[in-house]
Amino acid sequence: MATTVLFFLFAGLAIGCALSMVYHRNPLYSAVSLVGVFIALSCIYVTLAAPFIAAVQILIYAGAIMVLVVFVIMLLNLDEEKPLNRLRYLYSIGGFLGIILMAQTFFIFIAVNKAPKKPIVADESVGKTMSIGANMYTEYLLPVEIVGILLLMAIIGGVILARRFSQPELRLVVNNELDKRNESEEKDDYRIAL
Amino acid sequence: MNTILLMDLIKPDPNIAAVLPEMIVAIAGILAMLYDSFVPKQRYVTGAISLIGLAISAIFLYSMWGDLPETSWNGMVANDNLRMSFSFVALFVSAMTILVSSVWIDREKVPVGEYHALLMFATFGMMFMASGNDLVIMFLGLETLSIATYVMAGLRKGDLKSNESAMKYFILGSFASAFLLYGMALIYGATGATNITEIAAKVASPNFPALLLVGGAMLIVGFGFKVATVPFHVWTPDVYEGAPSPVTAFMMAGPKAAAFASFVRIFVLGFPLVASVPAAVFLHESWITALTVMAILTMTLGNIAAIVQNNVKRMLAYSSIAHAGYTLVGFIGAGMAKTPEARDAAIASVAFYMLTYAVTNLGAMAIVTLLGQKNDRRTEFEDYNGIGFKSPVLAFSLSLFMLSLLGLPLTAGFMGKVLVFRPALEAGNLMLAVLVVVAVVNTAISAYYYLRLIVVMFFRERTTDWTAPKIPFAIGAALVIAIAGVFYFGIFSNGVIEKFSKSAPIQSAQVK
Repeated sequence: MATTVLFFLFAGLAIGCALSMVYHRNPLYSAVSLVGVFIALSCIYVTLAAPFIAAVQILIYAGAIMVLVVFVIMLLNLDEEKPLNRLRYLYSIGGFLGIILMAQTFFIFIAVNKAPKKPIVADESVGKTMSIGANMYTEYLLPVEIVGILLLMAIIGGVILARRFSQPELRLVVNNELDKRNESEEKDDYRIAL
Repeated sequence: MNTILLMDLIKPDPNIAAVLPEMIVAIAGILAMLYDSFVPKQRYVTGAISLIGLAISAIFLYSMWGDLPETSWNGMVANDNLRMSFSFVALFVSAMTILVSSVWIDREKVPVGEYHALLMFATFGMMFMASGNDLVIMFLGLETLSIATYVMAGLRKGDLKSNESAMKYFILGSFASAFLLYGMALIYGATGATNITEIAAKVASPNFPALLLVGGAMLIVGFGFKVATVPFHVWTPDVYEGAPSPVTAFMMAGPKAAAFASFVRIFVLGFPLVASVPAAVFLHESWITALTVMAILTMTLGNIAAIVQNNVKRMLAYSSIAHAGYTLVGFIGAGMAKTPEARDAAIASVAFYMLTYAVTNLGAMAIVTLLGQKNDRRTEFEDYNGIGFKSPVLAFSLSLFMLSLLGLPLTAGFMGKVLVFRPALEAGNLMLAVLVVVAVVNTAISAYYYLRLIVVMFFRERTTDWTAPKIPFAIGAALVIAIAGVFYFGIFSNGVIEKFSKSAPIQSAQVK
């Protein structure tokens, strides 16, 4: 009973915050609402006996990532955007897709409820930090190694994109047509040619 | 409670030999990066390091073909023909991309060490997408590949089109990855397993059949995006047009092949037909039908949209969509196969099709890169006007590649098409027969725009002065390899197909 009450409390909070995130025009308010969503979700994880995920949710999403998002928003110094009348017609399409998604969710809900129930044995150790660690370095050793390469590559990619133009001959190409007209037949000179 | 006994733990089962090809590729990427940071002025050495790494990896891959336990790393890595053949395609695409991109590196002073490192890591991701026998590995491989490709698409930082390409690919790609991950989570919820072999064993008696269905649908969305099928193709033309040509060449052939490897493994091997259970039969029917509809839409829309393009890269992008449709025909044939042998042959045909497409397309993109000049500004059809007799080498090779993409007999494209259509016909199903008819009609439609390029090159007058570019060594090598490949796979394809389909330990998930 208590868990049900808690679930509806936090689920309601999460949905409310999500709505507020979409509703606000000021990106900063949206960001703060998103933090609310993350916190509500992590509370739900706690009630589901998954403390590790809950902690990670707070530390990484609500902590690190949202701080970055807020920094970027503050640094960019955004003006409040005017509503785009041009894109009005998208509202109806968005509403239609939203209804389809809702219908899909209800379909899952009903189908799962209707299906013959098989009791799933609750495993006490699942979700605990220790069992995650034990599995990471035994059964899931290879994925951990792959994540190592993935992170290394993400760092390289971030550095390339963020670095100042290291290519001295590059300038902003807005329109290739202009270049074509002004082009003095330049010869490509390769060091090794056939 | 608070202690885990050592004996309770699962043994990690590290089998280095089983992932050696992937490891070598990753090490080559790290070496390229380190070399570039100590010797920043180099332009060719990191490319050479990468090529050597790819070659060594290919040798190891070849030597371990059919020579390993079925799975290793606790069932994480499969060692079947599907893995071997698609990994080989990934290595080939990567090597060709290095050759093709050398011109572009010279011309635009790309940060070369980082570029080669990213390419190597992308290859590493592609190989794990082919070898992963577990949803976790497949997803990590896909992310490694995707993030590297997002960055590579935006490498021309001063070009707004390249920025647009990278941005679109990144946002839509992340969106698709989210679908994929959600689907994987639902499948895990339905079966309690992420291992493909275990999922296949649980398909007949999942905990929640509805979740399996929804999860499968989400996977189709995610992979449908990665292989560029209609209706998830909208990003393709913009991204392929805006990205630097060599990167486009890579994106057309590499990620598509790798995504097909995972796609085929999950659906054909993970969701087999279990005739005795109605829910499983329904699942099988649903994904076959969904893919059939997608294949028909993909081929038709891709070919029709390609007709009206005026940009060669954009035309090739739509043609790439159409080719994803043809590949789906073989994929569906594999799903409908009645015996494990027929299924393996159909999977091999998908791999072979990706190989022929990679050979042909990389050859064509080599020429597009060379003729594109700085910032790829010469990629309109009118820029190809009348180059035929001024630069016969380029024009004749490009014509050959167009004919192979079209599927003219004696070229690789023809053999590839024959092989992917055959399993669908052999399934003896009316729906699949219709699918093959649509595919053949589409091949006829595609003749228009492939031949149009040839006509433009040979029979139009050029108004402006044009001198043929010198063919640099690396592009020349790429062209020779591609031309040899087009003829070799078109005429002597038997050896490759046998290698792809026979004699190796077969995936333990059997058709029941």
